[in-house]
Amino acid sequence: MWAGIAKWYRDWDQELQSLLLQPELAAAMAPGWRRKMGVKIALLTPVERQEMYRFQVTYRGAALWRALASLCLVFSVTGALLKLAYLPALPMSLALLGANGVGFAMLMAMITVWFNHASYARPGRRIITGVLGVILLGTVYGAAVAVLFKDGSWQSFRDLLPKVLTYTGIAMLVLIALPGFLLATVRNRHYDLLASQLTQQAEQERLARELSETRLRLLRAQIEPHFLFNTLGAVQQLAEQGAPRAAELTAHLIDFLRASMSDMRCEQVPLRAEFRLVESYLRVMQVRMGTRLQVRLSLPAALESTPVPCMILLTLAENAIKHGIEPALHGGDIAVLAEDCGDVLRLQVVDSGVGMSATPGNGTGLQNIRERLRLSYGDAASLALSEAEPGLAVEILIPRKTNA
Amino acid sequence: MSIKVVIAEDEPLMRERLLGMLATAWPEAQVVAAPENGIDAWDAFLEHAPQVVFLDIRMPGMSGLEVAARIGRQAHIVFVTAYDQYAVDAFDAGAVDYLLKPLQPGRLERALARLRDKLERPPGDVSAVVRQLAAVQPKREKLKWLKATIGKQIRLIDVDEVLFFQADSKYTRVVLAGSEALVRIALKELTGGLDPDRFWQIHRGTLVNVSAIRAAERIDAERMQVLLRGSSEVLPVSRSFTHLFRE
Repeated sequence: MWAGIAKWYRDWDQELQSLLLQPELAAAMAPGWRRKMGVKIALLTPVERQEMYRFQVTYRGAALWRALASLCLVFSVTGALLKLAYLPALPMSLALLGANGVGFAMLMAMITVWFNHASYARPGRRIITGVLGVILLGTVYGAAVAVLFKDGSWQSFRDLLPKVLTYTGIAMLVLIALPGFLLATVRNRHYDLLASQLTQQAEQERLARELSETRLRLLRAQIEPHFLFNTLGAVQQLAEQGAPRAAELTAHLIDFLRASMSDMRCEQVPLRAEFRLVESYLRVMQVRMGTRLQVRLSLPAALESTPVPCMILLTLAENAIKHGIEPALHGGDIAVLAEDCGDVLRLQVVDSGVGMSATPGNGTGLQNIRERLRLSYGDAASLALSEAEPGLAVEILIPRKTNA
Repeated sequence: MSIKVVIAEDEPLMRERLLGMLATAWPEAQVVAAPENGIDAWDAFLEHAPQVVFLDIRMPGMSGLEVAARIGRQAHIVFVTAYDQYAVDAFDAGAVDYLLKPLQPGRLERALARLRDKLERPPGDVSAVVRQLAAVQPKREKLKWLKATIGKQIRLIDVDEVLFFQADSKYTRVVLAGSEALVRIALKELTGGLDPDRFWQIHRGTLVNVSAIRAAERIDAERMQVLLRGSSEVLPVSRSFTHLFRE
């Protein structure tokens, strides 16, 4: 039978632990008081569950009993010392019993405070009425017990009442209420700290996830098959003609492929590298589109090593080609510019294509850039579109200090 | 017997490649025009009435699909695309001819062999496939307003009120009920912005608002003309567009 009880206890212990880690399991439990408890646990805040879990792991099995025994010892010694010092008339057994009773009552009170800290630290009518109620109840109970031991008369009960009220009040105040308030205040700070830690953790995890998703999207979005096949077709034609431009176009394509594949692995690149990538892309497009595309790039030497999120300029250049120049009957030109504006770096991609009104497209590229700017710089970076005459200008502002 | 062919492709190297390969693989083909955008492609079709039109799908002005919708069954259409699995599936399902870029000699020869077979018969109907594909393409904004300078005034014209457009060298004559104006855009460039179901091309130089047509009448076995509501002008219908009025 003992083994059965031990096994049941172990099972229950195990169940509590898995519940603390995965509160959603409570919904799947068999009905009964264990399920009711599980549902209660699921209602706790993540911080509380984490603490309870830690407590359970530290004080499981024999450890719990050892802890209780040492507490019992501390209370008994305190009780015995108090009796020897102040209450010589009290029998030792009663003193020990009383000390343990008060001690464990305090412990229970503190545990209650620990898990209801928020309402205790906030002074309010409910707490005051609660404390007063407990004091009154204690008083009546204490007075009644005292009277029973004395003579049992109504008169002496009424005589004793004020005295017991004072003592109980002081005892409650000193033993429960004050330490309770103190504990609740400490606990509140502690709790807020833990809670903010948890939120921070969750936020960091979310950011990491978003970053990897962005990278994945980049990977999928970048080397469009359309681009690759058309470029290979152009290479094929040039090669067949024996034109030296075949080698040149292949070189641009290789530059583009290499740069875009290595850039996908890092979040930030020096502006120089980003410009090289954009240039190789635009050179490829220039060979393909012939006189329909003119290109201008400008990167001041001082800005060459400024770090920028990778592939943002490329995305803008690709948009300018796809939604600006390609749909334009007579083509147009694209300018990619970097400019030092003191605290901020200003990047611009301007095209003289068909402009915003005629631009079909779902804007995932721009959405993507906005998201990545926000992840890297918060609200300090911006992306703005404006109509050019003719065409479209896209401007990105990035704070320089963050990356210095 | 030579076959009149139009090749529409916006990238010069691709255009050269198709021209070069066609010259060796299909000597009877006589390329009468090689336009580099959809608008010129449509214009070249109107001018030359070719039997075969190669259409790149992605082109400025009008897409290959839009041009194909206008051509209808008046020519054999071969689409050219670099990569669009969706389009390729649709073409396969609808038995529409297409070429994949980069062009490979073997594939081109197979496509040409099939095409030569088909030339014996009247062109097939590609409209169902074209409509299906056009529905998933981003919509091009349709023209709603036109700006016309009349003396010192700039007049705004609601496209729906226009009875017909008529080409006038580099300008276009815009005729409304009771008035008319000249706009500084060539008719062929306006065409892409107009809804083909609303404005019918009845002549290389004329686009007419369908709701303004009162009647079409036969002049002789081949020629027709259109009578309008709100205007006494009579518009000639060229031979290749008389099919629009067949019952």
